[in-house]
Amino acid sequence: MSDVNRPDPSDARQVVLALADDELCVGQNLAWWIAVGPFLEEDLALTSISQDELGHARALYGLLGDDIDALAYGRQPHEYRSAHLTELPCRDWGETLVRHFLYDTAESIRWQAFADSSWEALGAVARRALAEERSHLRHASGLLSRLLRTESGCSQLLPLFDQFAPMACELFDVPSGCSSDDLVAGGVMSSPLGDQRAEWQATVDEALAQVGYQPKWPDHKELGSPASGRDGQRSPHFATLHAEMVEVLTIDPSAVW
Amino acid sequence: MEAAVLEAAVFDAVSSVCDPEYPDVTIAELGILESVSMADNGSVVRIELVPTMLGCPALDVIRRDVAAAAQSACVGAKARIEVVFVADPVWTPDRIAPSAVAFMAREYSVAVRSALTDATCPICGNAALEHRSDFGPTPCRSVEWCPNCRNPIEVVGRVDIAVSA
Repeated sequence: MSDVNRPDPSDARQVVLALADDELCVGQNLAWWIAVGPFLEEDLALTSISQDELGHARALYGLLGDDIDALAYGRQPHEYRSAHLTELPCRDWGETLVRHFLYDTAESIRWQAFADSSWEALGAVARRALAEERSHLRHASGLLSRLLRTESGCSQLLPLFDQFAPMACELFDVPSGCSSDDLVAGGVMSSPLGDQRAEWQATVDEALAQVGYQPKWPDHKELGSPASGRDGQRSPHFATLHAEMVEVLTIDPSAVW
Repeated sequence: MEAAVLEAAVFDAVSSVCDPEYPDVTIAELGILESVSMADNGSVVRIELVPTMLGCPALDVIRRDVAAAAQSACVGAKARIEVVFVADPVWTPDRIAPSAVAFMAREYSVAVRSALTDATCPICGNAALEHRSDFGPTPCRSVEWCPNCRNPIEVVGRVDIAVSA
Protein backbone atom coordinates (compact mmCIF):
# COMPACT_ATOMS: atom_id res chain seq x y z
CA MET A 1 0.00 0.00 0.00
CA SER A 2 1.38 3.41 -0.87
CA ASP A 3 1.72 6.04 1.81
CA VAL A 4 -0.75 8.21 -0.07
CA ASN A 5 -3.52 5.78 0.79
CA ARG A 6 -2.56 5.43 4.42
CA PRO A 7 -5.14 7.01 6.67
CA ASP A 8 -3.80 9.76 8.82
CA PRO A 9 -3.78 8.12 12.25
CA SER A 10 -5.28 11.28 13.61
CA ASP A 11 -8.28 10.75 11.29
CA ALA A 12 -8.92 7.40 12.92
CA ARG A 13 -8.52 8.98 16.34
CA GLN A 14 -10.96 11.74 15.45
CA VAL A 15 -13.57 9.21 14.37
CA VAL A 16 -13.07 7.13 17.52
CA LEU A 17 -13.36 10.27 19.64
CA ALA A 18 -16.66 11.13 17.93
CA LEU A 19 -17.98 7.63 18.61
CA ALA A 20 -16.83 7.74 22.21
CA ASP A 21 -18.55 11.10 22.74
CA ASP A 22 -21.77 9.71 21.23
CA GLU A 23 -21.64 6.80 23.66
CA LEU A 24 -20.86 9.02 26.63
CA CYS A 25 -23.81 11.33 25.93
CA VAL A 26 -26.27 8.50 25.24
CA GLY A 27 -25.12 6.60 28.33
CA GLN A 28 -25.44 9.64 30.54
CA ASN A 29 -28.83 10.63 29.11
CA LEU A 30 -30.33 7.14 29.41
CA ALA A 31 -29.27 7.03 33.05
CA TRP A 32 -32.03 9.56 33.69
CA TRP A 33 -34.51 6.63 33.64
CA ILE A 34 -33.09 5.07 36.80
CA ALA A 35 -36.09 4.39 39.05
CA VAL A 36 -38.57 6.26 36.82
CA GLY A 37 -38.97 3.85 33.88
CA PRO A 38 -42.58 3.26 32.83
CA PHE A 39 -42.40 -0.31 34.18
CA LEU A 40 -39.79 -2.20 36.18
CA GLU A 41 -38.33 -4.27 33.35
CA GLU A 42 -37.99 -1.15 31.21
CA ASP A 43 -36.29 0.69 34.03
CA LEU A 44 -33.73 -2.12 34.26
CA ALA A 45 -33.34 -2.36 30.49
CA LEU A 46 -32.70 1.33 29.85
CA THR A 47 -30.31 1.69 32.73
CA SER A 48 -28.43 -1.52 31.82
CA ILE A 49 -28.09 -0.17 28.30
CA SER A 50 -26.91 3.12 29.79
CA GLN A 51 -24.18 1.26 31.70
CA ASP A 52 -23.18 -0.64 28.57
CA GLU A 53 -22.88 2.56 26.53
CA LEU A 54 -20.79 4.23 29.22
CA GLY A 55 -18.60 1.12 29.20
CA HIS A 56 -18.20 1.42 25.43
CA ALA A 57 -17.29 5.08 25.80
CA ARG A 58 -14.70 4.14 28.39
CA ALA A 59 -13.20 1.45 26.14
CA LEU A 60 -13.02 3.87 23.21
CA TYR A 61 -11.46 6.68 25.25
CA GLY A 62 -9.01 4.07 26.49
CA LEU A 63 -7.79 3.68 22.90
CA LEU A 64 -6.99 7.38 22.81
CA GLY A 65 -5.21 7.93 26.10
CA ASP A 66 -4.59 6.71 29.61
CA ASP A 67 -6.50 9.38 31.49
CA ILE A 68 -10.04 8.38 30.59
CA ASP A 69 -11.71 10.79 33.02
CA ALA A 70 -9.77 13.71 31.58
CA LEU A 71 -10.91 12.75 28.09
CA ALA A 72 -14.50 12.13 29.09
CA TYR A 73 -14.99 15.10 31.40
CA GLY A 74 -12.03 17.43 31.14
CA ARG A 75 -12.49 18.95 27.68
CA GLN A 76 -14.10 22.22 26.72
CA PRO A 77 -17.53 21.92 25.05
CA HIS A 78 -16.14 22.77 21.60
CA GLU A 79 -13.70 19.87 21.91
CA TYR A 80 -16.48 17.27 22.05
CA ARG A 81 -17.51 15.60 18.80
CA SER A 82 -20.90 14.14 19.70
CA ALA A 83 -23.79 14.07 17.23
CA HIS A 84 -26.57 16.35 18.38
CA LEU A 85 -29.07 13.50 18.58
CA THR A 86 -27.08 11.99 21.42
CA GLU A 87 -27.13 15.20 23.45
CA LEU A 88 -30.92 15.39 23.64
CA PRO A 89 -32.38 14.78 27.08
CA CYS A 90 -34.62 11.72 27.51
CA ARG A 91 -37.66 12.97 29.37
CA ASP A 92 -40.36 11.38 27.23
CA TRP A 93 -40.41 7.61 26.93
CA GLY A 94 -41.71 7.56 23.34
CA GLU A 95 -38.92 9.89 22.26
CA THR A 96 -36.41 7.81 24.19
CA LEU A 97 -37.54 4.62 22.47
CA VAL A 98 -37.45 6.07 18.94
CA ARG A 99 -34.00 7.55 19.49
CA HIS A 100 -32.80 4.34 21.14
CA PHE A 101 -33.92 2.42 18.05
CA LEU A 102 -32.29 4.88 15.63
CA TYR A 103 -29.10 5.03 17.64
CA ASP A 104 -28.64 1.34 18.31
CA THR A 105 -29.37 0.28 14.72
CA ALA A 106 -26.78 2.86 13.63
CA GLU A 107 -24.33 1.74 16.26
CA SER A 108 -24.48 -1.93 15.29
CA ILE A 109 -23.61 -1.00 11.72
CA ARG A 110 -20.77 1.28 12.83
CA TRP A 111 -19.29 -1.37 15.16
CA GLN A 112 -19.56 -4.00 12.44
CA ALA A 113 -17.49 -1.79 10.14
CA PHE A 114 -14.73 -1.72 12.77
CA ALA A 115 -14.84 -5.43 13.68
CA ASP A 116 -11.90 -6.36 11.43
CA SER A 117 -10.11 -3.05 11.75
CA SER A 118 -6.40 -2.74 10.95
CA TRP A 119 -6.30 -0.82 14.24
CA GLU A 120 -6.36 -4.09 16.17
CA ALA A 121 -7.30 -2.72 19.56
CA LEU A 122 -10.26 -0.92 17.98
CA GLY A 123 -11.33 -4.15 16.27
CA ALA A 124 -11.23 -5.96 19.62
CA VAL A 125 -13.40 -3.32 21.30
CA ALA A 126 -15.82 -3.41 18.35
CA ARG A 127 -16.23 -7.19 18.52
CA ARG A 128 -16.71 -7.04 22.27
CA ALA A 129 -19.27 -4.24 21.93
CA LEU A 130 -21.16 -6.02 19.15
CA ALA A 131 -21.79 -8.97 21.48
CA GLU A 132 -23.50 -6.55 23.88
CA GLU A 133 -25.28 -4.53 21.21
CA ARG A 134 -27.49 -7.38 20.04
CA SER A 135 -29.50 -7.26 23.23
CA HIS A 136 -29.92 -3.48 22.86
CA LEU A 137 -31.25 -3.93 19.35
CA ARG A 138 -33.57 -6.73 20.36
CA HIS A 139 -34.94 -4.51 23.11
CA ALA A 140 -35.48 -1.51 20.83
CA SER A 141 -36.91 -3.33 17.83
CA GLY A 142 -39.00 -5.73 19.94
CA LEU A 143 -40.77 -2.91 21.75
CA LEU A 144 -41.10 -0.82 18.62
CA SER A 145 -42.67 -3.53 16.52
CA ARG A 146 -45.12 -4.45 19.29
CA LEU A 147 -46.15 -0.85 19.85
CA LEU A 148 -46.56 -0.23 16.13
CA ARG A 149 -49.25 -2.92 16.09
CA THR A 150 -51.44 -0.54 18.05
CA GLU A 151 -53.16 2.58 16.80
CA SER A 152 -51.97 4.79 19.62
CA GLY A 153 -48.43 3.42 19.23
CA CYS A 154 -48.43 4.45 15.58
CA SER A 155 -49.93 7.88 16.18
CA GLN A 156 -47.46 8.65 18.95
CA LEU A 157 -44.27 7.11 17.60
CA LEU A 158 -44.32 7.62 13.83
CA PRO A 159 -44.19 11.44 13.89
CA LEU A 160 -41.15 11.12 16.12
CA PHE A 161 -39.30 9.37 13.31
CA ASP A 162 -39.76 12.44 11.13
CA GLN A 163 -38.39 14.53 13.95
CA PHE A 164 -35.37 12.38 14.82
CA ALA A 165 -34.41 10.29 11.78
CA PRO A 166 -32.97 13.23 9.78
CA MET A 167 -31.07 14.35 12.86
CA ALA A 168 -29.72 10.83 13.39
CA CYS A 169 -28.02 10.95 9.97
CA GLU A 170 -25.27 12.90 11.69
CA LEU A 171 -24.20 9.68 13.41
CA PHE A 172 -22.55 8.77 10.12
CA ASP A 173 -20.72 12.05 9.70
CA VAL A 174 -17.06 12.55 10.49
CA PRO A 175 -15.28 15.68 11.68
CA SER A 176 -14.36 17.87 8.72
CA GLY A 177 -10.94 17.13 7.37
CA CYS A 178 -11.36 13.40 8.09
CA SER A 179 -11.82 11.19 5.09
CA SER A 180 -14.05 8.16 5.35
CA ASP A 181 -12.56 6.77 2.10
CA ASP A 182 -9.01 7.01 3.47
CA LEU A 183 -10.05 5.11 6.57
CA VAL A 184 -11.47 2.36 4.38
CA ALA A 185 -8.35 2.33 2.19
CA GLY A 186 -6.20 1.93 5.30
CA GLY A 187 -8.35 -0.88 6.65
CA VAL A 188 -9.51 1.03 9.72
CA MET A 189 -13.14 0.64 8.58
CA SER A 190 -14.53 -1.98 6.23
CA SER A 191 -17.03 0.27 4.45
CA PRO A 192 -17.39 4.01 3.81
CA LEU A 193 -19.74 5.92 6.09
CA GLY A 194 -22.01 6.69 3.15
CA ASP A 195 -22.60 2.97 2.62
CA GLN A 196 -23.09 2.44 6.35
CA ARG A 197 -25.65 5.20 6.41
CA ALA A 198 -27.50 3.73 3.42
CA GLU A 199 -27.60 0.35 5.15
CA TRP A 200 -28.92 1.97 8.31
CA GLN A 201 -31.63 3.91 6.45
CA ALA A 202 -32.73 0.67 4.77
CA THR A 203 -32.95 -1.00 8.21
CA VAL A 204 -35.09 1.83 9.58
CA ASP A 205 -37.27 1.83 6.44
CA GLU A 206 -37.78 -1.91 6.76
CA ALA A 207 -38.84 -1.65 10.41
CA LEU A 208 -41.45 0.96 9.53
CA ALA A 209 -42.63 -0.78 6.34
CA GLN A 210 -44.82 -3.05 8.52
CA VAL A 211 -47.06 -0.05 9.08
CA GLY A 212 -46.56 1.38 5.58
CA TYR A 213 -44.59 4.34 6.85
CA GLN A 214 -41.61 6.04 5.28
CA PRO A 215 -39.66 8.55 7.35
CA LYS A 216 -38.93 11.88 5.72
CA TRP A 217 -35.22 11.55 5.05
CA PRO A 218 -33.30 14.65 4.07
CA ASP A 219 -33.06 14.82 0.27
CA HIS A 220 -29.64 16.00 -0.64
CA LYS A 221 -27.59 15.86 2.47
CA GLU A 222 -24.08 15.20 1.33
CA LEU A 223 -22.76 11.95 2.78
CA GLY A 224 -19.88 12.32 5.14
CA SER A 225 -20.19 16.08 5.10
CA PRO A 226 -18.86 18.04 8.03
CA ALA A 227 -21.64 18.42 10.54
CA SER A 228 -21.85 20.91 13.33
CA GLY A 229 -21.71 18.41 16.22
CA ARG A 230 -18.71 16.62 14.78
CA ASP A 231 -16.90 19.93 14.37
CA GLY A 232 -17.37 21.09 17.89
CA GLN A 233 -20.60 23.07 17.82
CA ARG A 234 -22.69 21.90 20.74
CA SER A 235 -26.46 21.70 20.83
CA PRO A 236 -28.30 23.80 23.44
CA HIS A 237 -28.76 20.67 25.59
CA PHE A 238 -25.09 19.90 25.99
CA ALA A 239 -24.33 22.41 28.74
CA THR A 240 -26.87 20.90 31.16
CA LEU A 241 -25.77 17.37 30.32
CA HIS A 242 -22.11 18.21 30.79
CA ALA A 243 -22.72 20.04 34.07
CA GLU A 244 -24.49 16.94 35.36
CA MET A 245 -21.61 14.69 34.29
CA VAL A 246 -18.94 16.78 35.99
CA GLU A 247 -20.96 17.75 39.05
CA VAL A 248 -18.95 15.62 41.50
CA LEU A 249 -15.61 16.49 39.91
CA THR A 250 -16.49 20.18 40.14
CA ILE A 251 -17.15 19.90 43.86
CA ASP A 252 -14.11 17.70 44.48
CA PRO A 253 -11.57 17.47 41.64
CA SER A 254 -9.67 14.73 43.45
CA ALA A 255 -12.72 12.51 43.95
CA VAL A 256 -12.24 8.84 43.11
CA TRP A 257 -14.63 5.90 43.16
CA MET B 1 13.40 -13.16 42.87
CA GLU B 2 13.65 -15.15 39.64
CA ALA B 3 11.16 -14.08 36.96
CA ALA B 4 9.41 -17.44 36.66
CA VAL B 5 9.09 -17.74 40.42
CA LEU B 6 7.74 -14.21 40.70
CA GLU B 7 5.28 -14.83 37.87
CA ALA B 8 4.01 -17.99 39.58
CA ALA B 9 3.75 -16.21 42.95
CA VAL B 10 1.75 -13.36 41.43
CA PHE B 11 -0.46 -15.81 39.56
CA ASP B 12 -1.24 -17.64 42.81
CA ALA B 13 -1.96 -14.39 44.63
CA VAL B 14 -4.27 -12.87 42.02
CA SER B 15 -6.03 -16.19 41.37
CA SER B 16 -7.51 -16.02 44.83
CA VAL B 17 -8.94 -12.49 44.44
CA CYS B 18 -12.71 -12.71 44.74
CA ASP B 19 -15.35 -10.97 42.67
CA PRO B 20 -17.09 -8.12 44.55
CA GLU B 21 -20.50 -9.46 43.47
CA TYR B 22 -19.76 -13.03 44.60
CA PRO B 23 -17.34 -12.52 47.50
CA ASP B 24 -16.39 -16.19 47.75
CA VAL B 25 -15.96 -16.92 44.05
CA THR B 26 -12.58 -16.04 42.59
CA ILE B 27 -11.87 -14.11 39.41
CA ALA B 28 -9.98 -17.17 38.19
CA GLU B 29 -13.10 -19.35 38.60
CA LEU B 30 -15.18 -16.72 36.81
CA GLY B 31 -12.79 -16.60 33.86
CA ILE B 32 -11.98 -12.92 34.46
CA LEU B 33 -8.28 -13.64 34.99
CA GLU B 34 -6.71 -14.11 31.57
CA SER B 35 -2.96 -14.20 32.14
CA VAL B 36 0.01 -13.18 34.26
CA SER B 37 3.27 -12.60 32.42
CA MET B 38 6.59 -10.85 32.79
CA ALA B 39 7.23 -8.00 30.37
CA ASP B 40 10.05 -5.56 29.60
CA ASN B 41 12.87 -7.94 30.56
CA GLY B 42 11.32 -8.87 33.85
CA SER B 43 10.77 -5.31 35.06
CA VAL B 44 6.98 -5.46 34.68
CA VAL B 45 4.45 -8.03 35.85
CA ARG B 46 1.54 -7.71 33.42
CA ILE B 47 -1.83 -9.04 34.54
CA GLU B 48 -4.53 -9.24 31.88
CA LEU B 49 -8.17 -9.38 32.92
CA VAL B 50 -11.24 -9.93 30.73
CA PRO B 51 -14.27 -7.81 31.68
CA THR B 52 -17.57 -9.69 31.81
CA MET B 53 -19.14 -6.58 30.30
CA LEU B 54 -17.36 -3.40 29.17
CA GLY B 55 -19.70 -1.37 31.38
CA CYS B 56 -19.36 -3.49 34.51
CA PRO B 57 -19.20 -1.04 37.43
CA ALA B 58 -17.03 -3.43 39.45
CA LEU B 59 -14.05 -3.21 37.08
CA ASP B 60 -12.23 -0.58 39.13
CA VAL B 61 -12.73 -2.53 42.35
CA ILE B 62 -11.44 -5.71 40.70
CA ARG B 63 -8.45 -3.87 39.27
CA ARG B 64 -7.61 -2.42 42.69
CA ASP B 65 -7.96 -5.78 44.47
CA VAL B 66 -5.83 -7.52 41.84
CA ALA B 67 -3.12 -4.86 42.06
CA ALA B 68 -3.07 -5.15 45.86
CA ALA B 69 -2.83 -8.95 45.73
CA ALA B 70 -0.06 -8.79 43.14
CA GLN B 71 1.78 -6.22 45.22
CA SER B 72 1.73 -8.49 48.26
CA ALA B 73 3.30 -11.27 46.19
CA CYS B 74 5.99 -8.91 44.88
CA VAL B 75 7.36 -7.74 48.20
CA GLY B 76 11.13 -7.56 47.83
CA ALA B 77 11.00 -7.70 44.04
CA LYS B 78 11.64 -4.63 41.93
CA ALA B 79 9.05 -5.37 39.26
CA ARG B 80 6.29 -2.86 38.50
CA ILE B 81 2.74 -4.20 38.39
CA GLU B 82 0.48 -3.49 35.44
CA VAL B 83 -3.19 -4.52 35.55
CA VAL B 84 -5.08 -4.17 32.28
CA PHE B 85 -8.55 -5.09 31.08
CA VAL B 86 -8.41 -6.48 27.54
CA ALA B 87 -11.31 -6.55 25.08
CA ASP B 88 -10.00 -9.64 23.35
CA PRO B 89 -10.85 -12.43 24.07
CA VAL B 90 -14.55 -11.73 24.63
CA TRP B 91 -15.71 -13.00 28.00
CA THR B 92 -18.55 -15.49 27.85
CA PRO B 93 -20.15 -17.56 30.62
CA ASP B 94 -18.30 -20.57 29.14
CA ARG B 95 -15.29 -19.24 31.00
CA ILE B 96 -16.89 -19.92 34.40
CA ALA B 97 -15.50 -23.08 36.01
CA PRO B 98 -18.09 -25.88 36.45
CA SER B 99 -17.41 -25.95 40.19
CA ALA B 100 -18.25 -22.24 40.39
CA VAL B 101 -21.47 -22.77 38.40
CA ALA B 102 -22.62 -25.28 41.01
CA PHE B 103 -21.50 -23.05 43.88
CA MET B 104 -23.27 -19.97 42.50
CA ALA B 105 -26.49 -21.96 42.10
CA ARG B 106 -26.30 -23.23 45.66
CA GLU B 107 -25.09 -20.10 47.45
CA TYR B 108 -26.55 -17.28 45.36
CA SER B 109 -29.50 -18.90 43.54
CA VAL B 110 -27.95 -17.68 40.31
CA ALA B 111 -27.97 -19.85 37.19
CA VAL B 112 -25.41 -19.77 34.38
CA ARG B 113 -26.34 -20.12 30.74
CA SER B 114 -23.51 -20.79 28.31
CA ALA B 115 -22.69 -22.83 25.26
CA LEU B 116 -21.43 -25.51 27.65
CA THR B 117 -23.99 -25.34 30.45
CA ASP B 118 -27.73 -25.28 29.98
CA ALA B 119 -29.20 -23.09 32.69
CA THR B 120 -31.13 -25.03 35.29
CA CYS B 121 -33.29 -23.59 38.01
CA PRO B 122 -31.04 -23.20 41.07
CA ILE B 123 -34.06 -23.72 43.31
CA CYS B 124 -35.77 -26.83 41.88
CA GLY B 125 -33.37 -28.07 39.19
CA ASN B 126 -35.83 -27.67 36.31
CA ALA B 127 -33.95 -27.26 33.02
CA ALA B 128 -36.78 -25.64 31.06
CA LEU B 129 -36.41 -22.00 32.08
CA GLU B 130 -38.29 -19.35 30.12
CA HIS B 131 -36.57 -16.18 28.97
CA ARG B 132 -38.11 -13.03 30.43
CA SER B 133 -35.72 -10.10 29.99
CA ASP B 134 -32.17 -9.58 28.77
CA PHE B 135 -31.69 -7.04 31.52
CA GLY B 136 -31.49 -7.90 35.19
CA PRO B 137 -30.04 -6.58 38.42
CA THR B 138 -26.53 -6.27 36.95
CA PRO B 139 -25.40 -5.85 33.32
CA CYS B 140 -24.15 -9.45 33.18
CA ARG B 141 -27.38 -11.04 34.42
CA SER B 142 -30.66 -11.57 32.61
CA VAL B 143 -33.98 -12.66 34.06
CA GLU B 144 -35.67 -15.97 33.33
CA TRP B 145 -38.69 -17.69 34.84
CA CYS B 146 -39.03 -21.19 36.22
CA PRO B 147 -42.50 -22.53 35.33
CA ASN B 148 -42.01 -25.47 37.70
CA CYS B 149 -41.32 -23.70 41.01
CA ARG B 150 -42.73 -20.39 39.75
CA ASN B 151 -39.74 -18.25 40.66
CA PRO B 152 -37.96 -15.57 38.68
CA ILE B 153 -34.36 -16.69 38.14
CA GLU B 154 -31.28 -14.56 37.64
CA VAL B 155 -29.11 -15.99 34.91
CA VAL B 156 -25.51 -14.95 34.25
CA GLY B 157 -25.13 -14.20 30.56
CA ARG B 158 -27.49 -12.42 28.22
CA VAL B 159 -28.63 -14.72 25.45
CA ASP B 160 -26.27 -13.35 22.80
CA ILE B 161 -23.25 -13.16 25.01
CA ALA B 162 -23.77 -16.76 26.02
CA VAL B 163 -23.81 -18.00 22.45
CA SER B 164 -21.28 -15.66 20.86
CA ALA B 165 -18.20 -17.63 21.87
